Amino acid sequence: MNDLDRSRPPSRGTFTDFDFPSVDRRRLPTGLDLRVAQLHRLPVVSLNLFMRASEAALRPANAGLSVATADTVEGGTKKRSGSALAEALEGIGARMSVSAGWEGTSLSLSCLADRLPEALGIVAEAILQPGFPDGEVERVRQQQLAAIRQRLMDPSSLATDSANARFFADGVPWARRIEGGTESVERFGPGEMAAWAEANYRPERGGLVLAGDVDAGEVATMVLDHFGDWTGAPTNEAAFEVTPRTRERRIHIVHRPGSVQSEIRIGHVGTKRSDPDYYALSIANMVLGGMFTSRLNLNLREKNGFTYGVRSRFLLRTAPGPFRVSTAVGNDVTAAAVREIMNELEAIAGEGPTTAEVTAARDYAAGIFGLQLETAGQVATRVSQLVVYDLPDDHFDEYRDRIRAVDAESAAAAARRHIRPHEAQIVLVGDADVIATDLEGLDLGPVEVVQGGA
Amino acid sequence: MSRLSIDFRRHRLDNGLKVVLAPDPTVPIVATNLWYGVGSRNEPKGKTGFAHLFEHMMFQGSAHVPKNKHFELIEGVGGTLNATTWFDRTNYFETVPAVDVELALWLESDRMGWMLPAMTQEKLDNQRDVVKNEKRQRYDNQPYGDWDERVQSLVYPETHPYHHTVIGSMEDIDGATLDDVRSFFETFYVPNNAVLTLAGDIDPARALEQVKRYFGEIEPGDDIPPLPGDPDVDPLIGSTVRDHVISDVPLPRVIMAFRVPPFSSDEFAVARVTGALLGTGRASRFYRRLVRERRIAKSVVTYVYPLLTGQSMMLVWATGYPETTPQALESAMSEEIDALRSAEEREVDRAIALTETDLVRTLERLSERADLLSMFDLYFDDPGRLNQELDRLRAVELGQIRDFVGKRLGEDNRAIVIYEPENGR
Repeated sequence: MNDLDRSRPPSRGTFTDFDFPSVDRRRLPTGLDLRVAQLHRLPVVSLNLFMRASEAALRPANAGLSVATADTVEGGTKKRSGSALAEALEGIGARMSVSAGWEGTSLSLSCLADRLPEALGIVAEAILQPGFPDGEVERVRQQQLAAIRQRLMDPSSLATDSANARFFADGVPWARRIEGGTESVERFGPGEMAAWAEANYRPERGGLVLAGDVDAGEVATMVLDHFGDWTGAPTNEAAFEVTPRTRERRIHIVHRPGSVQSEIRIGHVGTKRSDPDYYALSIANMVLGGMFTSRLNLNLREKNGFTYGVRSRFLLRTAPGPFRVSTAVGNDVTAAAVREIMNELEAIAGEGPTTAEVTAARDYAAGIFGLQLETAGQVATRVSQLVVYDLPDDHFDEYRDRIRAVDAESAAAAARRHIRPHEAQIVLVGDADVIATDLEGLDLGPVEVVQGGA
Repeated sequence: MSRLSIDFRRHRLDNGLKVVLAPDPTVPIVATNLWYGVGSRNEPKGKTGFAHLFEHMMFQGSAHVPKNKHFELIEGVGGTLNATTWFDRTNYFETVPAVDVELALWLESDRMGWMLPAMTQEKLDNQRDVVKNEKRQRYDNQPYGDWDERVQSLVYPETHPYHHTVIGSMEDIDGATLDDVRSFFETFYVPNNAVLTLAGDIDPARALEQVKRYFGEIEPGDDIPPLPGDPDVDPLIGSTVRDHVISDVPLPRVIMAFRVPPFSSDEFAVARVTGALLGTGRASRFYRRLVRERRIAKSVVTYVYPLLTGQSMMLVWATGYPETTPQALESAMSEEIDALRSAEEREVDRAIALTETDLVRTLERLSERADLLSMFDLYFDDPGRLNQELDRLRAVELGQIRDFVGKRLGEDNRAIVIYEPENGR
């Protein structure tokens, strides 16, 4: 027994922020932007090499080429086969992956710190002298075609892909699937991949980030040894305007007979990473659907039991990405769930969040920021964001102060500007025979049904 | 030998609660982690899925904590939290700024000691709907979503506690009552059936005082009742048992499962290393042969379950291309498994090197570190096993792998579930 008063939460001590790790930044003579965060907790290092070889720079006819090229890098170099490359890396306990997205191509590596010198040599070989052997290229193409098929038959992926196609006009790259389409993937081979890599795997407008138990000066010397001859800027640049497919609200059902749930995506064109509303909008979105205790989750999950979970997100890219609410709900409550989501969108865009909600979201955002600087990989990812989105070096030093400066008025104004329920595209993957009538009854806009599946 | 040495101390409160304190002042964070010795294996027939439904109820408030307050308070300090239910255990965890460790202790102790006064039929009905939607979203509405149900029912006989899945059946979830909640809580959610670990920026002496203050007055429960059914099973399935499913899946998939020695057995390390030779990394045999060279599989997976009860399970699966026949995929997998008898030392070295990097990276996260310490204390009464894991794997010899392949991965010990796309797909 003791004198403990359980009726209220314990009082809090004095909170101390922990500083974003300092980053040693130097531009190497070749044009490579090298950034190193020295962290000495455990003997590991994480490396991210970002190159602006972007899927968004490709025309629809070549869609998927950047993704496939990145996936084929592990397929071997001019000096060794894919298997030999994998054995060399894994033999020293290093994991490497290469992947392409809408902003560019990233190579990630993690290993124990004392293995970095060897690992860095292998990374340089993979990027500077990729082999693109026929067999590996054919494999990656087959894998990509199969992945497209999987996305078409997985209700969640199908819903997300269908929503992107409904939100954005045809010329916007992310109206399409990042893997490309069956026709475009059939079209390219080793020659196209080698040409893409030669033209776009270049240091300028990219960066090399290392975080972990290393010395910045030693790293710079090693990097110069391996990447000393690597120069130039990517040739293919993304050039497009982000426009919505329509501003008229519609309900779009992708018919998947026999579904026991409806996958729901509701949203429209969002905004870009460099938007001055970034902080206020982050807070407004947290209140709407960015945390467990968000309005959407408390309503749809904890009050109504419609779903296992629901969230809202702005995908912030160099150019405006989607804003969307995502959830999966039972067939019989599909229309009711759509109604509730629309009500929450109207409310956040109308009156906006309350002061108490903004305070809670601010505390969450400022607190979790520090908690997510625990590992070398997390720090490397953050520093890479500075490169990808061309943010100032002190961006993360300022982050918490800027977040704490958001108030109810600025959050409401940001929500009003960026959340537009009357333009929302309401996209569902489910059994149209079961859900369509109720959705028509909501009177939210025209209902269109298309067949889903591969 | 090992480069890892995680510092920790152990205590046991008078009510039986095990406490592990793992100080690490390098980041101003604390991970709190509670393992309860209860999982789906403790569910009798007709109550499948209940351990997991109960886990949801643990977030519905307790005597001094209103519904949703647990999430609100932890998120309010920027913390993260969750819980998971598995075969042998249920875990609850928070990661918070170091200054908020007492908040986590208050919340966790309130629901360990005083959960029942807050339970209502309305909350049970709400979370039942949430869990049924979780089942639909993660299993019923997914291609291949019923794979674990099919595999478990082939590997374990109906009388064994691993015969049914953690998510359970809709009928059983529908049948759960408030009385079930009460008796489950009183039986299993007792300090003498739990481990509490704090990892991170703590002063161990002060942390122990805080733990005693919050948890010390919770009454112990009775001894934990024996498992329902019959946990003892033969080490081998006895034959190759099959389930051929033709359904709405995008690609063919062959899943093979084997009974393997339980996590507590010395032989378990052999199973782990064997699994890593087959499927960990791109230089593994499955990836090299099936994905890269023969291009018969789009992707491969291997997994050795760390299970305690009777026999554990090793799983390998391969997903083919649209034109791959499941038969061809299965025989290609069998060939690679048989060929493991000729495994070489350098393959073992590679697998251990990757495992070491993975483990160090896992331990960078205080939440993972705390989770592993809780696990080793709950399962083996020895959190220090964490620091010996790599050495256990390094000690595995080629001869043991050869024997294991012969004894455990043969045709007399295989459960095979095949998914074949429907015609016209």
